[in-house]
Amino acid sequence: MIPAPDNKLKPVFNAGKSIEVNNVTVSFKTPKGIYTAVKDISLSVKKGEIVTIIGHSGCGKSTLMGTISGMVKPTSGEVFANNSLVTKPGPDRGIVFQNYSLLPWLTVYRNIYEAVDSAIKFKTAKEKKQLVENNLKMVNLWEHKDKLPGQLSGGMKQRVAIARAFAINPTILLLDEPFGALDALTKSNMHVELLKLWNLDNREKTIVMVTHDIEEAIFLSDRVVVMNNGPAATIKEIVDVPLSRPRNKKNIVHDQTYTAIHDRLLNLLIDKFSIDDIH
Amino acid sequence: MGGIWELISSITKYEIPSPTMTWQVFKEVMQNPMQDDPDYKGIGTKLLSSLKRVGIGFGCGSLIAIPIGMLMGSNKVIMNIINPMVQILRPVSPLAWFPLGLAIFQDSPKASIFMIFICSLWPTLINTAFGVSHIPQDHKNVGKAFGFSVWKYITKIVVPYTLPHILTGLRLSIGVAWMVIVAGEMLSGGMGLGYFVWEEGFNGGSIAKIIVAIIIIGVVGLMLDRIFMGLQKRFSYAV
Repeated sequence: MIPAPDNKLKPVFNAGKSIEVNNVTVSFKTPKGIYTAVKDISLSVKKGEIVTIIGHSGCGKSTLMGTISGMVKPTSGEVFANNSLVTKPGPDRGIVFQNYSLLPWLTVYRNIYEAVDSAIKFKTAKEKKQLVENNLKMVNLWEHKDKLPGQLSGGMKQRVAIARAFAINPTILLLDEPFGALDALTKSNMHVELLKLWNLDNREKTIVMVTHDIEEAIFLSDRVVVMNNGPAATIKEIVDVPLSRPRNKKNIVHDQTYTAIHDRLLNLLIDKFSIDDIH
Repeated sequence: MGGIWELISSITKYEIPSPTMTWQVFKEVMQNPMQDDPDYKGIGTKLLSSLKRVGIGFGCGSLIAIPIGMLMGSNKVIMNIINPMVQILRPVSPLAWFPLGLAIFQDSPKASIFMIFICSLWPTLINTAFGVSHIPQDHKNVGKAFGFSVWKYITKIVVPYTLPHILTGLRLSIGVAWMVIVAGEMLSGGMGLGYFVWEEGFNGGSIAKIIVAIIIIGVVGLMLDRIFMGLQKRFSYAV
């Protein structure tokens, strides 16, 4: 491990910065030695921006995301969220996990309430209940509030997980392959619902999402971060998505900018396009 | 099954009583089951005294096994310290603990409770430890991400996840305890179903009474098992 140089410049923040990742390297000890998942990654995300991180399985996308959420400690480098150093998860960052991560013995309502109750300290029980109610209504699940997660479909579970993340009213939303387990139709609806929630909130929340779905990345984000294959993954390229909002799922695919970005991302991620490319 | 029983009876020239003969004895035994005189106690009274001893031994054993199991499951160091002891003591026949209990308590009913206590520990301990050590990372992440307090983590994640495992342990424990109490009462004498089997059945020369006792022990054992099976079902959750 190389120690960080002492004379490193302190980062200068401006008000619009939401997340600042500085030279982050994450290594794990494994029985076979030290495995470096991501290496020297720097990335900054503006307030209210939607950024997706895309790459092949096992390229360290989730690890990078983990350093922002505080679930993973960087081996070197540092991460700032809302101008303060990230050392552990905090209520300013709402996390939506890949496999929903609802507690199966709690009802939909309790799942959100327990999270709100823990994350928000300075509110009365009544205010907390109001928050849970508002957020469940927002994702149209109020009438299912007394069900257990096992009684819900995948899409509904993911809406609960999103409502839970929104309920603690974070300034940053971190979504780790949130729609990966959903079928294409449900997924498509969820994209629109996510953007609706973001709009309701005046587009003030910063969203970072991990995915391996190119269409999803373009439809949702302002910028797409493409990662190299691990180990020691780095950022390969950051692709801007200058498509105006609100975006329309149906029309956007005919947009020339969209197709250009789509091609660019395909080229970055895939090197074999037909059986002729296999030597 | 009654046919096979009848056949065996006739082959042994009714040395082993037929179902009808056993039924007669059963009715006789059940005539005044709750009789509780100093010189004679009815079968129901004996059953209750056996159940009471099992209840106390099993209850105390579980109260100790569950928290220790949780500690073992959540901490590798504690697991490595306690587990070898458990592995050595677990295969010991519960009956071997009886004389030790007798030496400690100088009282045979207490010694049988002690024996039940010891044999109720292991399945619950091992299953609880297994449950706690296998809490899925997803559940742990929820606690971490939303900043659950230690108390909330235990009550909302550890206990609900581990409960079905604990109940499996309890179900195995009560099965062993019920099996062992009969043997214990035979050793200690003077009380319970074990005494009934030995004294009234074998010494009294009534094989029918032994069979009646076996059936009662079996049915009660089945009921105890069903209670814990029901609880297990009640506290299992689909993910």
